[in-house]
Amino acid sequence: MKTIGDIPDRQLLLFKSCMVGQEYPGVETSTRYAFDRLGVDYIINDEQSCCTGIGHYTDIFEGLTTTAIAARNFAVARRCGHPNITCLCSTCYAINKEACEVLNTDNEIREKVNSIFREQGLEDLVYEKDDMNSKANFYHAVEILLSKASQIQAKKKFDFSGVKAAAHHACHYYKVKYLDVLGNPENPQLIDTIAIACGADMVRWYEDRTLTCGMGFAQLHLNKKTSLQVTKTKLDSLQKAGVELMIHMCPNCHIQYDRYQPVIEREFGAKYDTVHMNIAQFVALSMGADPYKVCGFQTHSVPLEGFLEKHGII
Amino acid sequence: MMPYVNEYDTPECKTLAETVKKSIRTPASLGLDRCIQCGACTASCPAARFTDYSPRQIVKKVLENDHSVLESEMIWSCFYCYSCNLRCPRNNSPATIVQVLRQMAINEGIGVEKLGYFVEIGEYLAENGASKVPGAGVKNMERDLGERWIKFKKDLESIRVELGLSSRDIRNTHGEVRAILEGTGYFEREKWIKTTIQEKSLHQLLKSQCMKEEDKSGDFGFENDRGYPGQAALII
Repeated sequence: MKTIGDIPDRQLLLFKSCMVGQEYPGVETSTRYAFDRLGVDYIINDEQSCCTGIGHYTDIFEGLTTTAIAARNFAVARRCGHPNITCLCSTCYAINKEACEVLNTDNEIREKVNSIFREQGLEDLVYEKDDMNSKANFYHAVEILLSKASQIQAKKKFDFSGVKAAAHHACHYYKVKYLDVLGNPENPQLIDTIAIACGADMVRWYEDRTLTCGMGFAQLHLNKKTSLQVTKTKLDSLQKAGVELMIHMCPNCHIQYDRYQPVIEREFGAKYDTVHMNIAQFVALSMGADPYKVCGFQTHSVPLEGFLEKHGII
Repeated sequence: MMPYVNEYDTPECKTLAETVKKSIRTPASLGLDRCIQCGACTASCPAARFTDYSPRQIVKKVLENDHSVLESEMIWSCFYCYSCNLRCPRNNSPATIVQVLRQMAINEGIGVEKLGYFVEIGEYLAENGASKVPGAGVKNMERDLGERWIKFKKDLESIRVELGLSSRDIRNTHGEVRAILEGTGYFEREKWIKTTIQEKSLHQLLKSQCMKEEDKSGDFGFENDRGYPGQAALII
């Protein structure tokens, strides 16, 4: 089990996320805004590729390809002296952590990956056993924010007191490698603890708190009805609990809730009063970031203007 | 159609259980043989809540070495949310077992047409070092999400610049990602997938011209968990 004391704030490679970059770029800039003000030592490296998660979990990429691409990204992280891979997306986190475990424990696969690198003239990517530590080198950006919760509280320029919010913790953070997460995976409190530091009034338990967002990789595209039924279950529960803001930590959940809430309203005849944001956007906002130039709320589907006006931010 | 050989996802073994345990997709500590059919997986499962999907029964079929599971539509319902992985009291992992079963089905050309939707992800990754929602998905999103999202997508590059980011999220991988996809045999597999989908649709077309469409909606002899009345309580 991870403890807050284990979370580093040095030598972080902030691992770019494809879905953040294409749908909610403000999540990346909000994270950087917060990290810059919290004294976190991190870099972003454009040589880092996609983790393969979208293709891996739509069954397109086989495990060998996923592992080899991960090994290349590990080489990128080590080469630039920032081996602590810190993800914005929970699927990047799970894919990288799992690939590291495979590379360290399965000699046959590690040798195969290395032989591919050598055949392709990519000797500098070769991965030696334990080059990376699957427990000590992989983090989600939320863990870094959690380790800085007291600083966030001290530095906040805007207090969210009276905002009734609830958290959705990402499945690929706490259900894949469930023995190595902060806190109890049956009752995760990462987002809640950070949001409380920003003053929010968190609804700690709501019905189906641990249910998935419903995206399900291929499911949203191939079995849309079931996918949206799952999302609706969660939105119904938030509505019932009177939640005005849902806070998440993964761009896939973000797409599912924010992009598809209006679709569910239309297709299922429902009406919701909840707005959505990533915890990094919430922290940045609390630390004084511009809602559009840093948080990028203009990319959202559920408009946040009503929420921002109500709480005196705009 | 020649079956595809996928050595690491689906190592050739005598039984389904052995293949699942040896696969790169499942953890080395997989508790498959320890399954007690308690149903904690099905109780936790978002797909089971709204469909007839049952991870408990999938695991039972694997333990019984019943290859009909590969032809079941059921295996395509998993969300890969790993709730079963978290909740199993025996460290079994239906979510990763299903990944292996899908790969085994794909090798035989079963359900391979479902990959058609996503198959462009590989070439895009090789070219740009990033992934994106495939074209068919974008079309669906345009239809579902409407004007607001379409406008946002048009403005994405200028929004990224306003945020201080590069106008497009393209990575500088020096061709290494493409070389890796070539080295792992990804492109061969992609070609095989595309050809198999074409062959299947042609076959389907000929078949529909020759005979009446048979009813394919039924599943393959799975008992339905929701129809299962449970055992009568023992009252002393």
